[in-house]
Amino acid sequence: MTDDKDVLRDVWFGRIPTCFTLYQDEITEREAEPYYLLLPRISYLTLVTDKVKKHFQKVMRQEEVSEIWFEYEGTPLKWHYPIGLLFDLHASNTALPWCITVHFKNFPEKDLLHCHSKDVIEAHFMACIKEADALKHKSQVINEMQKKDHKQLWMGLQNDKFEQFWAINRKLMEYSPEESGFRYIPFRIYQATTERPFIQKLFRPIDSGGQLHTLGDLLKDVCPSAITPEDGEKKTQVMIHGIEPMLETPLQWLSEHMSYPDNFLHISIIPRPTD
Amino acid sequence: EDFFLEEKKFKQYCEEFIKHSQKIGDGWEWRTSKDFADGYLSKTHFQITNRNVPPDLKEKNNDNIEQTLFMHVEESLDDSQVDGVCATAEVLRYEYHVLYSSSYQVPVLYFRACFLDGRALSLDEIWKSVHACYQARLLEGPWDTITQQEHPLLGQPFFVLHPCRTNEFMSAVLTSSRKENRQTNYIASWLSIVGPVVGLNLSLSYA
Repeated sequence: MTDDKDVLRDVWFGRIPTCFTLYQDEITEREAEPYYLLLPRISYLTLVTDKVKKHFQKVMRQEEVSEIWFEYEGTPLKWHYPIGLLFDLHASNTALPWCITVHFKNFPEKDLLHCHSKDVIEAHFMACIKEADALKHKSQVINEMQKKDHKQLWMGLQNDKFEQFWAINRKLMEYSPEESGFRYIPFRIYQATTERPFIQKLFRPIDSGGQLHTLGDLLKDVCPSAITPEDGEKKTQVMIHGIEPMLETPLQWLSEHMSYPDNFLHISIIPRPTD
Repeated sequence: EDFFLEEKKFKQYCEEFIKHSQKIGDGWEWRTSKDFADGYLSKTHFQITNRNVPPDLKEKNNDNIEQTLFMHVEESLDDSQVDGVCATAEVLRYEYHVLYSSSYQVPVLYFRACFLDGRALSLDEIWKSVHACYQARLLEGPWDTITQQEHPLLGQPFFVLHPCRTNEFMSAVLTSSRKENRQTNYIASWLSIVGPVVGLNLSLSYA
C-alpha cells in the first residue's frame, strides 16, 4: 500500500511534456525552432520558461520583444494559475506533447495579468498561501511564521526543492488534536465554459455529525452539475493533478495531500472524452 | 471583538447603500454574476485628468487635489490659453467594484481605468494620475499595496487594494460609532476610507 507521503512526492514531481512554438506573426531574423521542455505541474509558466524566452529571443530583434505571453489554441494562458491546472483544464484529453504558442507582442490586457518580474510571481504565490491559511487556521499558522519561513516556501518552489518546501509547509497542514481537520478547506473549482473563472466557497471538512466530508459532498454542494445523476451518463470528469480521485475520498485528506504548493485544491471539471 | 462581516450582512448593507445611491443619483448599482450566485456593487465614472500638472499645483499641499485639477482645467478652458491645457487633458473611465471575500470576511475594492480608446492604464499610470498627495498616506496606511489580480467573478485583470488588514481600521471606526450608539453602514464607512485613495469619493450624505 502506497504511503501517504509518496503521494506528496508524486504530486510535487509531476511533469508535462511541452512543445513551445513561436507565433507565426512574430518577426524573426532566422527561422525559430520549437523548444521542448518538461514543465512542473506545480509551478507557474513565467517561473519556469526563462530558457524558452532566451531561445526565441536569439532569433528576434530587441525592439520586437516585449512582455512574453503564452497561448493554447487561441486561449491566452493565465500564468498565475499553476501549470498542472492549465493543462488539466484545457488540454488533458489531447495528445502529448502539449503545444503552446509563444508571443512577444500584443499582450492581451483584458485577459492576462502582467508579470514583469519574479517578484510578482512570489507576491501572488504568497498571497494564495496566506488566503489558504486564513481559511484553514484563521491565519494563525502563517502569521506565527517568520519571514525566513515564508521565503523558504517560495525558494523551495522556485528551486524545485521538495524537502526544503515541506519542512515549512507541513506546519500549514497541521491542525489541533481537538479538531478533526481544518476550519475550512481551501479549494477552487474551474470549468472552461463559464464566465466565472472559478467557484470558491466556505466549506467545512467535517459535517455537523462529525463525519468527514467527501469530494462528492463538496461537488454536490457547490457544483451540482458536475455530479452525474445516478441513472445518467457521466458527461464530465473531475480532475486534480491529472487524475480523477474517487468521489468518496475525504476532502480533508485531499487538502493535506493533493493541494498545490499554494495550499489550494485546484479542481477541474472537464467534458468527458467521447470515443 | 469580532468585526468580521458575514456575507448576509454584506448583502444587506449593499442593499441599503444602493437605496441611498438611487436617492442621491450618484451612480452605484448592484450587479450579479451570470449564475446569480454572487453580487457586487459597481460604479463607473469619467474623470478629466490634466496630465501636465503645473508646478505651482504640485507644490500646494492640497488635500483635494482632484477637485483642484478639475477646476484648473475648467478655468483654463475659459482662457485664451486653452491650447496648452486641452492638449494634455485626457478623459479616463474608472470602474469600481465592491466584492465580498469569504476567505477574509471583508469587502474588497476592485478597480480599473482606461482611456476612451480602450487602452488600459497600467499600475504605474494609476498611481501617478490619481493620488499624488495620497501616495505618502497609502504607503503608511493599513494596507500593503495595490496589486493587479484576477476579478473572481469576471475573470479579467483588475487592481485591488489588499484586504487582509481591513479589520484593523474598521474596528476603530465601528468601535467609536458603537460607543456613540450610531447606526452605521459598514460598506459606506469602509468605502469612505479606502475609496479616496484610488480616486473614489463618497457623498457625506451616506453617513
